[in-house]
Amino acid sequence: MFACIYIPTASGDTAAALVDCAGTFSPRVENTGAGTVVFDVEGLERLFGGYSEIAEKIRDSVCARGLQANVAVAANADAAVCAARGFCGVTVIQRGTEAGRLRDLPLDVLKPSPEISETLERWGIRTLGAFANLPAVHVSERLGQEGVKLHKLAQGAGARPIVPHVAALRLVEVMELDYDITTIEPLTFILSRMLDQICSRMRSRNLATHEVRLALGTYVRILNLPIPVRNSRLLTKLFILDLEAHPPGIAIKRVEVEAVPVKPRVVQNGLFVPLSPEPEKLELTLARLKAVVGDENVGSAEILDTHRPDAFSVIPFGRRLRESTQRNPINLRLTLRLFRPPLDATVQLRNQIPVWIAFHGRHGPIATASGPWHTSGDWWRPTMWDREEWDVEVADMLYRIYYDVHLDRWYAQGVYD
Amino acid sequence: MQSVILTDGCALTRLRSATDGCALTRLRSARARLESALGERISSPFTDLDRRVFESVPTGITSLDALTGGLPRGAISEIFGPPSSGRTSTMVSIFAEAIARDEVCALVDGNDAFDPKSAASAGVELNRLLWVRCHKLDQVLKSTDLLLQGGGFGRVVMDLTDLPLSHTRSIPLASWFRFQRTIEKTPTVLLVMSPESVVQSAAALVLRMEMRTAEWSTVLNGLNLNVEVIRSRRFRGRLPNYLNSIQARFKNLGN
Repeated sequence: MFACIYIPTASGDTAAALVDCAGTFSPRVENTGAGTVVFDVEGLERLFGGYSEIAEKIRDSVCARGLQANVAVAANADAAVCAARGFCGVTVIQRGTEAGRLRDLPLDVLKPSPEISETLERWGIRTLGAFANLPAVHVSERLGQEGVKLHKLAQGAGARPIVPHVAALRLVEVMELDYDITTIEPLTFILSRMLDQICSRMRSRNLATHEVRLALGTYVRILNLPIPVRNSRLLTKLFILDLEAHPPGIAIKRVEVEAVPVKPRVVQNGLFVPLSPEPEKLELTLARLKAVVGDENVGSAEILDTHRPDAFSVIPFGRRLRESTQRNPINLRLTLRLFRPPLDATVQLRNQIPVWIAFHGRHGPIATASGPWHTSGDWWRPTMWDREEWDVEVADMLYRIYYDVHLDRWYAQGVYD
Repeated sequence: MQSVILTDGCALTRLRSATDGCALTRLRSARARLESALGERISSPFTDLDRRVFESVPTGITSLDALTGGLPRGAISEIFGPPSSGRTSTMVSIFAEAIARDEVCALVDGNDAFDPKSAASAGVELNRLLWVRCHKLDQVLKSTDLLLQGGGFGRVVMDLTDLPLSHTRSIPLASWFRFQRTIEKTPTVLLVMSPESVVQSAAALVLRMEMRTAEWSTVLNGLNLNVEVIRSRRFRGRLPNYLNSIQARFKNLGN
């Protein structure tokens, strides 16, 4: 048996209240929409008595929330919906009497499409009973599949299963503190406990999280993870490392942790999978490395789409480990080691060719020089560059030096090694 | 128990004095008797426990692989030499080779000198290379420690090349042994690059590089270098003299 609660003028909050109300009677609740909620009341007789008593209890529960609603109980969900929409107050339809009880109701309770509604109006069909008496074959020929479906509903013969309403899951833990916290160490224990709770809830629902938000009063930190995790120790360590790098700077009176639930990662490992770090461990290692050398100094290099010398950015490592990109062919290539920033150099020229150099405590005659290779760009920006590069050999060492045309100065850019 | 020890002592004395073919037969029978006597307690009394099987990985430089047998996994390798001796080019080749095998690598850059553009054009997929840009020695040591403890990296390179010699010399030997101990039973290769040898006896392979000639035309065409094996635990002195150095060549393809 199914019960339906119907409020003709329901807003969003009212619908949520109806779902809550239905949830106190049954875990199988469908939010049908338009102020209608259907739920399974099969087997509730031992708790509340007969179906009339159940319907009364439901109406009382709705009234207790300050709402006025129609309540109907029927053998199938669609009959219950039609009855709730069509009859005021409480209605109980016994099994097998659906067609008879619904026959006088207007067609509007079926919520037909405007085309079908107009067609039936032209035919002079105004009640469910009149519609139910039409031959099913002719209804199918003239009104199509939707007509057939409405015809069955008019006969009170619906047999669809309800679609249970699933409330959006919020994984939130809040703790109000009696005394302010000013250091991170005591926060470790609080965070550990709260994250334990959240991870335990995620584990019981087979969920994980890839984003955790920590609010320390008005100070908010968000932890974004490349993979979903539910390891409370890992999350605690990551938060502590993050807070050590970015201290709140305020006394903490309230701690709130919220995790965004997602499906956990499912990976099938293989015997011949190449060596790579475990994602959870990697995330922790990266956080620790960032604490040692700074956020901007850990990651993968990404070469920027420009001819500007030494143009790159450091992007987070590990986000694209599983992606296969087109690789350059491997070749034995002479590699440059860069001086960052380039070193000021003093260069003597003969016939416009460098013959002697001194920089950073090194000096000597240039045995061989190759150049100049002119490069410039971004002349329309303040960050323009304009330089003449030379490869030089000084005392069995190979350097790249350049003359900055704009600044009229020489620099050592790097050493070939 | 007592009699077994005495018997062992006699047998070993005879074993040491055996120099001819006849003695070899006696040696075998003595060994068989010892093994049967100790069989229940020691499964292989004559196996050299110190001799480990080194799995090696290629460097991407054919002649260097032929010389050294590759870089040993689970051990420290060291490359040292002056500037322009081809150390960084070798490091990039090692990265390219490892990443081509879908391994993940890490570079602890002692003085932020790595040039990603050179590495990319040598075949290194930068997505799979973790670059840790350090500016002080203690950052290098801590970062390397964290990476080795974290595990999962095929190659971890510790680049001490541009740090002052006084700093690199001050690294205690215990640190190297700790690193060696950390990666001992893992497939990770720890490569240390420095201007002079610093890892000492904790290294399984030590290579010294130096520039032989630079090839010039109107441009710098390439670099020829000598590579000398200073220490190789794999060969343990069995490396013939005529095989302990090679010459390699890196081309300059321009940036």
